[in-house]
Amino acid sequence: MTNREKYKQAFSVLHTSGRISLEEERMVIMKKKARFQATAAAVAVCLAFAGGGSIAYAADIGGVQRTIQLWVHGDQTDANIVYNANGSYDLWLEGDDGTRKELHGGGVAIEDDGTERPLTEEEIMDHLNQPEVDYREDGSVWVYYYDQKTDITDRFKDGVCYVKVSNGEKTLYMTILYEGGWCSSPHKYESPDSFR
Amino acid sequence: MRLPTQELFEKYQNNLYAVAFNVCRNAEDAEDVVQDTFIQYYSIRKQFDNEQHIRAWLIRVTINKAKNMNRTFWRKNKMSLEDYMETLLFETPESGELFEAVMNLPEKYRIVIHLFYYEDYSVREIAGILKLSEGNIKVRLSRARSLLKDKLQEEWEYDE
Repeated sequence: MTNREKYKQAFSVLHTSGRISLEEERMVIMKKKARFQATAAAVAVCLAFAGGGSIAYAADIGGVQRTIQLWVHGDQTDANIVYNANGSYDLWLEGDDGTRKELHGGGVAIEDDGTERPLTEEEIMDHLNQPEVDYREDGSVWVYYYDQKTDITDRFKDGVCYVKVSNGEKTLYMTILYEGGWCSSPHKYESPDSFR
Repeated sequence: MRLPTQELFEKYQNNLYAVAFNVCRNAEDAEDVVQDTFIQYYSIRKQFDNEQHIRAWLIRVTINKAKNMNRTFWRKNKMSLEDYMETLLFETPESGELFEAVMNLPEKYRIVIHLFYYEDYSVREIAGILKLSEGNIKVRLSRARSLLKDKLQEEWEYDE
């Protein structure tokens, strides 16, 4: 057998489990969840740059429900959130079409000495208030941060866009790879190679 | 042109899963990446030149998302690579050894060698997908082959 044949034989054992769904409603919900996961990634990068350790996220359920105001696509929206003791959260809000949307996330922070602790409510809110990069169906790309909505479609050069966003108190320097994720830092634009 | 998401899913889900697993080394993360990749395809209205263009785009997005997944330290009840390998039914012991040897290569070598030997991409095509120079890909491929040869001895031939 050639190396290629051996390789294909070895890796032909990998198959999806069948739990992936392409059902449309699930795709729409998952798209929203994916946005929040991308936001979580940015939080981890920011804290790493600040020397405050890294953050890990998980999904679990349980806790006390509260009403918060959340910025979604530049509009302030009421949402109900449950902070769980294990650092995860469950969130419900009303979508543009009046239907109820559910979001879940959260996780643990890893201290410098390697010990883990649940994320605090403040850390979870920080993560929920991170900027959002949205690839619209019309092909345009937008960045949302609090009440700001910025069309960055034509600002990509060689697949990379640099955007500064601010809510008046906090400024973030975002490096965005077209369809390839993004990171932000409160100090400077990070190199795309640092997270490519 | 565009093709229906379902059609692409049925055709490429296992290939994308293998690519994602190659980067993540975790089954659950790899499945999340595959799901997210098809959501991305479903969500945008990007037009493609042909099916090969779509396939290359899906693989590139899968790799990017898998790398992002690794960076997020996203936690689930993850199964270790060793435990997961015990659930896989390799045709021969040598296949299992090759799989393990590849999965123990550095990530930048794993993905290049996978695209070359599993997806049958040329050095030039891999350079296009990974946005790296052809020279860089050749170096990575050469080093990966060398590491596999050291590990697998006679089970891995010298090749170009």
